[in-house]
Amino acid sequence: MAALFAAFGLQLPLLIAQLVNFAILMIALTYLLYKPVMKTIEARKQKVAQGVLDAEEATKKLSTADAEATVTVQQAEKEAEGIVASAREEAGSEKMRIVKEADARAASIAADADARAKETAAKSLRESEKEIARLAILAAEKAMRT
Amino acid sequence: MSSGIHVSLKAETLGHILGFPITNSLLMTWLVMVLLIAFAYFFGRSLKMIPGKLQAAIEWGFEGAYAYIAEVFESDALAKRFFPLIATIFLFILVGNELEFFPGVGSIGFFHGTDFAPLLRAPAADLNFTLALTFIAFFTIEVTGIAVLGGLKYAGRFVNLKSPVGFAVGIIEIVSNLGRLVSFSFRLFGNIFAGEVMILVAGYFLPYLLPVPLIGFEMFIGAIQALVFAMLTMFFIKLSITDPHEAH
Repeated sequence: MAALFAAFGLQLPLLIAQLVNFAILMIALTYLLYKPVMKTIEARKQKVAQGVLDAEEATKKLSTADAEATVTVQQAEKEAEGIVASAREEAGSEKMRIVKEADARAASIAADADARAKETAAKSLRESEKEIARLAILAAEKAMRT
Repeated sequence: MSSGIHVSLKAETLGHILGFPITNSLLMTWLVMVLLIAFAYFFGRSLKMIPGKLQAAIEWGFEGAYAYIAEVFESDALAKRFFPLIATIFLFILVGNELEFFPGVGSIGFFHGTDFAPLLRAPAADLNFTLALTFIAFFTIEVTGIAVLGGLKYAGRFVNLKSPVGFAVGIIEIVSNLGRLVSFSFRLFGNIFAGEVMILVAGYFLPYLLPVPLIGFEMFIGAIQALVFAMLTMFFIKLSITDPHEAH
């Protein structure tokens, strides 16, 4: 056995040295290479998963936002229609009021003018009656003097 | 080529530091460690959320390996625990094997008289290295079996007195478990050492061209052997934690 070991150059110090070498290498690689690489892979996996989740959420949000926007636009349209209708109605009633007012004013002006004309006529009649009376008196005086 | 082909089964000792033998394999092992740790240090610090090409490739490899280990163990917790061990076995052997073919490795060295001792030698072409890895794999496998199944249950796999057949199976189990010590270490050592010898011989006959396809093939073998060592470790861990009565 000893001859066999000697033939292959087996020596206990060398064997122990190689065992120690392997242990050192394994510990060093574990902390310098395996763990950081695995951590990076894991971190990226989580990030990707988070990204997919975010994208899903964004899609969901987008669809709800679309629905909300549609509802809002519909509401706005309805409201606008209402506003236009009420404005139109108001405008109609305002017109009627103005026309009525104008009618009333025209009527009152006409009545006024009529009254004034009648009064003028009556006044002129009275005045002419007075004139006639005065002329008659003058004529009577002249007749008496002569 | 006055010295002809010089093949040394054992790693050449370059010198001693405080009585501790420094072989060319050990030197190469340290070089591999320095390269791997330096790469890990700089790469680990430059990790980004948006990966570059290198990071994407390495992450792809890690993720694939981890998924495979988790699939074999059928457990994420076990995969997390054993991933560093299996990955380190693979990377250590792989880098050591592939570095062997870089120019200068095996060709730069010292002459001791007529004997040539290269400065660097593939770690796996030294039984000390492969046996050390084998011990680590072996003890991991056995200790995991005891830890997961419990000492009595795990021992019951090897010592079974309920029936003669069961007893024989237990003996076979002991032999096959101990046999791993030899098969693990000599498979890796044999493959890598034989590859070196083959390239050496081919280079002796025809220094140009002939070694090129062989080097390519041996690089492939080097990667395969790294994979085999890592995967066998993984499968034997899985076997050791599988309850024999539930498995069938």
